[in-house]
Amino acid sequence: MARVASIVVAVIGLGIAAYLTVVHYAGDAPVCAIAHGCATVQKSDYAMLAGVPVALLGALGYIAILAALIRDDENARTAAVFLSLVGLGFSGWLTYVEIVKLDAICIWCVGSAICMTILTALTVSRVLTASPPELARAH
Amino acid sequence: MSKSKRELREQRRAAERAAVAAESRRRRIRNLLGAAGLAVVLVVAGIAISAAGGAKAKPVEHSSAAKLVAGLPEKDGVLGDPNAPITVTEYLDLQCPICADASKANLPHLIENYVRTGKVKLQVRTLSFIGPDSVTAAKFAHGAEQQGKLWAFLETFYASQGQENSGYVTPEFLEQVAQASGVDAGKAAAFAGGASAQAALDQADGAAQALKVDSTPSFTVTRDGGQEKVVAVGLEDLTNKLDKAIS
Repeated sequence: MARVASIVVAVIGLGIAAYLTVVHYAGDAPVCAIAHGCATVQKSDYAMLAGVPVALLGALGYIAILAALIRDDENARTAAVFLSLVGLGFSGWLTYVEIVKLDAICIWCVGSAICMTILTALTVSRVLTASPPELARAH
Repeated sequence: MSKSKRELREQRRAAERAAVAAESRRRRIRNLLGAAGLAVVLVVAGIAISAAGGAKAKPVEHSSAAKLVAGLPEKDGVLGDPNAPITVTEYLDLQCPICADASKANLPHLIENYVRTGKVKLQVRTLSFIGPDSVTAAKFAHGAEQQGKLWAFLETFYASQGQENSGYVTPEFLEQVAQASGVDAGKAAAFAGGASAQAALDQADGAAQALKVDSTPSFTVTRDGGQEKVVAVGLEDLTNKLDKAIS
């Protein structure tokens, strides 16, 4: 159940990141409910990490999470937690940058940060609640 | 006797299961902590790279930014022929990256086709809603305006625009922009420190409020004796909208 929910959330996150990546390369301003905010965030120097748009990194992150969700063994679960935690940490940093440094909020970025938060909660709970494979075999 | 054997066997199995479950739980928590530790390392490295890449203003370029307006008359911040029948007013914030984009992408067409031909005169209202750096920059811009160099200053400032509200609009930065745009930095700074500069900012804010202009860049068109009308907000289709409003 948590796995299916994780897949749904990751697909939503991938959609957001893919949209922002397309907008980045097209040079457009994202459609934004809060005037001015999205374009400011998207065009800021923080929108790139070592020359790579953070939107693209986000999209790749969601793809990696989805790949980790395909299998349901212990290694795959740990990988999904690891990727979600990295995504959550970096989303947290970018949200801090938006609020404190740019004074502008990009609603798409907030959406992605929420997806990463939910994904982290789901993937952590999967690792903690999974029944041991040794017992599954014993039955 | 046989019953007690079965009981013993079940007890042993239950104990084994509990041991396996406990070991599995320990392993999963170990995995979780390991993943979290590795994630922290990666995120901290990412933040370090991100923070180094953001923030700082670009060095002031002695670029061709001011060439765009070279040779055009400028009086009281109004660029072009003072008798031009149409006035285009841009509401801008010097920190706004989209305003810098508009200046690069759309102003050349407007200036070459309408201002240089005497059909349009161009003026700006410097708003300062983005933050303290906007206020400092706008006041200094009014200092440049006193010297008939507002437009050269604006274009050069945009070419060197830094990260919003990073505190990059320092006296040194303004001095460099002033030098690159032919503005006397000392005089501009002296004007910026006076009450007239604040009054100019208040006046621009008042004009924006009267027209309900709340985002930058916004462009208005005023025909001789007519009312000022907002014709375009933001970059979308800006050149077409201005062309339509002017022609």
